[in-house]
Amino acid sequence: MREIVTIQVGDFANFIGSHFWNFQDELLGLAEEPHADQAYKNQSLDTDVLFRAGETQQGTLTYTPRLVSIGLQGSLGSLSSHGSIYNDVPSYDPSHVATWEGNVTKQVAQPHKKNLFLQSLYKEELHQPTPSTNEIKDEDLVKCLENDVQYWTDFSKVHYHPQSLYEVSGLFTGIQGFDNYGIGKDVFSKGPCGEEMNERLRFFVEECDHIQGIQFVVDDSGGFSSVAADFLENIADEYTNTPVMLYSARGPGTYMNPLSQKGSISRALHDAVSFSRLSPLCKLIVPIGLPSLSTSKVSSFLCIKDAKPFHCSAVYAAALHSITTPFRMGLPGPTVDSEYVTGSMDVSGIVSMLTGQGRQNMVTMLDVAIPAPPLTGVRSQLNFPESLYSLTPEIAVDVEDLEAIEFMTILGALHSGGKQASILEVKDSIVSTYENAVTRPRFCHLSASLCPLPVPLPFPSIFGNHVGQRGELLQNPIPGSKSRGSLDVHSIPIAARLRSSSAVLPFIEKRLGHLRKFGIERGAAGAQLLRSWGFENDEVGDMGETLSKMVMSLDPYSQVSSDSD
Amino acid sequence: MSLRLLNPNAEVLNTNAAVGMNINAATGLQDVLKSNLGPKGTIKMLVGGSGDIKLTKDGNTLLKEMQIQNPTAIMIARTAVAQDDISGDGTTSTVIFIGELMKQSGRYIDEGMHPRILVDGFDIAKRATLQFLEKFKTPVVMGDNPDKEILKMVARTTLRTKLYEAMADQLTDIIVNAVLCIRKPEEPIDLFMVEIMHMRHKFDVDTRLVEGLVLDHGSRHPDMKRRVENCHILTCNVSLEYEKSEVNAGFFYSNAEQREAMVIAERRQVDERVQKIIELKRKVCSGNDNNFVVINQKGIDPPSLDLLAREGIVALRRAKRRNMERLVLACGGEAVNSVDDLSPDCLGWAGLVYEHVLGEEKYTFVENVKNPHSCTILIKGPNDHTIAQIKDAVRDGLRAVKNTIEDEAVVMGAGAFEVAARHYLLNEVKKTVQGRAQLGVEAFANALLVVPKTLAENSGLDTQDVIIALTGEHDKGNVVGLNLHTGEPLDPEMEGIFDNYSVKRQLINSGPVIASQLLLVDEVIRAGRNMRKPT
Ligand SMILES: Nc1ncnc2c1ncn2[C@@H]1O[C@H](COP(=O)(O)OP(=O)(O)O)[C@@H](O)[C@H]1O
Ligand SMILES: [Mg+2]
Repeated sequence: MREIVTIQVGDFANFIGSHFWNFQDELLGLAEEPHADQAYKNQSLDTDVLFRAGETQQGTLTYTPRLVSIGLQGSLGSLSSHGSIYNDVPSYDPSHVATWEGNVTKQVAQPHKKNLFLQSLYKEELHQPTPSTNEIKDEDLVKCLENDVQYWTDFSKVHYHPQSLYEVSGLFTGIQGFDNYGIGKDVFSKGPCGEEMNERLRFFVEECDHIQGIQFVVDDSGGFSSVAADFLENIADEYTNTPVMLYSARGPGTYMNPLSQKGSISRALHDAVSFSRLSPLCKLIVPIGLPSLSTSKVSSFLCIKDAKPFHCSAVYAAALHSITTPFRMGLPGPTVDSEYVTGSMDVSGIVSMLTGQGRQNMVTMLDVAIPAPPLTGVRSQLNFPESLYSLTPEIAVDVEDLEAIEFMTILGALHSGGKQASILEVKDSIVSTYENAVTRPRFCHLSASLCPLPVPLPFPSIFGNHVGQRGELLQNPIPGSKSRGSLDVHSIPIAARLRSSSAVLPFIEKRLGHLRKFGIERGAAGAQLLRSWGFENDEVGDMGETLSKMVMSLDPYSQVSSDSD
Repeated sequence: MSLRLLNPNAEVLNTNAAVGMNINAATGLQDVLKSNLGPKGTIKMLVGGSGDIKLTKDGNTLLKEMQIQNPTAIMIARTAVAQDDISGDGTTSTVIFIGELMKQSGRYIDEGMHPRILVDGFDIAKRATLQFLEKFKTPVVMGDNPDKEILKMVARTTLRTKLYEAMADQLTDIIVNAVLCIRKPEEPIDLFMVEIMHMRHKFDVDTRLVEGLVLDHGSRHPDMKRRVENCHILTCNVSLEYEKSEVNAGFFYSNAEQREAMVIAERRQVDERVQKIIELKRKVCSGNDNNFVVINQKGIDPPSLDLLAREGIVALRRAKRRNMERLVLACGGEAVNSVDDLSPDCLGWAGLVYEHVLGEEKYTFVENVKNPHSCTILIKGPNDHTIAQIKDAVRDGLRAVKNTIEDEAVVMGAGAFEVAARHYLLNEVKKTVQGRAQLGVEAFANALLVVPKTLAENSGLDTQDVIIALTGEHDKGNVVGLNLHTGEPLDPEMEGIFDNYSVKRQLINSGPVIASQLLLVDEVIRAGRNMRKPT
């Protein structure tokens, strides 16, 4: 068995993770549900890859994510940092102070009220879910989440292990906030945080018989970039041969507040520094997070509210889920098929496939089709691979790159009539599209599973009215409300793709340009700022080097080696 | 946990208002923390919005939990936390001292005095106080055999400010012995060589010193023995798991046999490494009833575990990096990074290695070692917040002992130093100062009294009575501290109440620096404005 340990750092990363684990939890439930679709019963996916089996001190068996989640103190909302199942020995009164005989004062913060959804989860757990006692209506649950998700824990239905949730405290950032690379710089190295995070990770890795990789999601919009960079550095030291796939994610908020000039220089430098520091510390980096997901092509069939992290994170999580599916297919090799899955891969396989050939480019784009269009039929004037759109910002479109490498996963593909497509049909159809294409990537790998993306109850109502109950795309809109959620749409076919191509050049060049303009050039407006973040001139120079090497690997004729942009 | 202080968005309007706000913020923070101080202080239980509990008696932890927003309070909190990072103690004292310096200053500023003059006085007073500390401190000779009694007194003093007496006293011996165990002559003390391990345990609140090491994991093979005696210990950092070498993608599409061959070749390399370990085991264990334990920093996969188990070897994987060092210090031998040069000399020794299981948690005890230079303090507690608080106390105690050894001095506590230093400033220093800076010295001297006053207040004593009694006794020429039970003067030396020299020193150094910055806030802002004037 080849385990994966997941690390989520920062708020938006945890929002994505919350949806991601909800999908996994939903699949676990559906596999045991007697009335569920056949596709869920024979998933041929090994859930132990992402989950661990355990036992509480009271002997209760548990099954929890192999996860280290890091957030600021207070970001867990109503969820205890010890999680929800490994509670303290109940016979012991927690408010008894066993260490002090003198005065005790108690300061009780206003308790975070559990929302309706969390209350219903809790109830379900207390007594067996009998429909008659179920006074809370599903509609109300969906509505409550739609209206007021504040924390990522508000919509999470998964139990977490007490080692999983780590809160960073004592930052004293005050009103300026935890919003740039410099401000997170000492968190890991000064004080106990770094060691504690390492220990949390070691707990999960020690259990693994044969870890295949680490899946790392970081909210790189602020101080957590540098926390993640330090963490990654330690991981590279300690688990040298364990490949790390890094998703650097941006929430919608980052792009929203209009900035002063000083603010925008700081932001530009942060983006450049963050990217150039993080990328050398992993095997593969996938930047995700569009400035406006709602208006992007990804959302052709979606109704997203950009202001809601609850909405946006769901899309990124769905793509991540699709990409990780091949890691769990228990097949002997990538070219072996079964009736249910094809294209099994492990983390190091994907990494070496995407980064190892020809150019050594490790910056990869993530594309998605949510829901995926039918494999065949009316809508396929657009061929299937062209229906996937990028979740990576600031890239070029319509770039022809004969050196491109693609890794695509399709889950639960449908034919145009809504009939399920078999694994063989998926393969044949994709292979023939590629063969008929005018330009094709140099290399392409396909993984597929019959099992679609389940839509769990706490999934946001982001589907447009062209999306049917099984995620099929309808000719005519469904009358009534504009957006549809988990009560109307139960599953969707989805396709996601990692793409190594020169289309990502503008993303890198922009960061390089900013670093030079604001950080390196004589009298650069942000030089002082970089120093205050703890970077010496030569370090800034090294970052520039890192970035220009990346550009060169994608475009050997680029002019980046000259000193100005 | 939101104990927000004051309005974070307030803008600085004018000089007096700015200083006034700083004074308010500083005294506000002082008010929150002062009830913590000393062995009669109050422990605080903080219950967060999700029901998480934190238990704290020390200023450091409390400050970190407070989510402070006010910039002035943040500045003070940072200083206090730095105080703890640098010297390991004295956070509460730092905060209340800064608060008091500001409060005293406020009185003079209200009467129209310029902060600059106070700051000048602070500076003089600070230097004088530091000089006085040199005279006042009690030197202790450490050498090869440190005076264990004095170490115990310092440890006990600090522990009793965090834990109830019986528990503090039990820990005192543990902590002193732990530091003496890891101490090497002529080298700085590396407290990381004391492992602090905890277990959650129904009703027990207990601590014990394990001469040896406790690891928070166990072997991962069902056939490995849970208890072995007379053990050779191999401490290593060698991968014993099959790792796919980096290959290009073409590999995946090559035929199954080729792939199979690659896998076999890789596997063989791992097996060979395991085999080398087994050979060493046979060399040292054949013909006797010794056992062999492998503790590896890297992974060990199931096939390797199988091989080792079949040979009767106990193996642990993914040990903490720091445990490599600790193991060698505890058991002897050396940590090896490759199996190529394995020899019996690499091996350490432990009389007993056994596993302890609590639910899914496993612990491995490596005990009965010869002449250990690393050890473990094992804490048992009923819940995480109790354990965390004991851990904090243990860390404080360890730092106090280390400081004492390295400072080669201690300072009499219970307010004795503060009373004496104030006396010195008022009677000796003040008169040597020209002009109104005298008032700064006076303010500083009176601010020092905040420590005995707060100690008294927290003991339910009348602060004025106490101060009169203490200064009276002091004027007779005696060094006096405060007896918190009676309110009478006591002799700290007799009672064994000693604080760390370096803690006091740091406190006297940093307090006035921050107070001065907070008092001169107006000037800083003015300078900024001037620069932007189009002149
Ligand atoms: N038994 C005692 N009697 C009187 N004062 C004591 C006693 N033990 C410690 N103190 C005093 O308590 C103060 C330290 O209190 P503590 O709560 O540890 O605060 P801090 O965080 O500033 O170290 C010191 O001034 C010390 O001299
Ligand atoms: Mg103390």
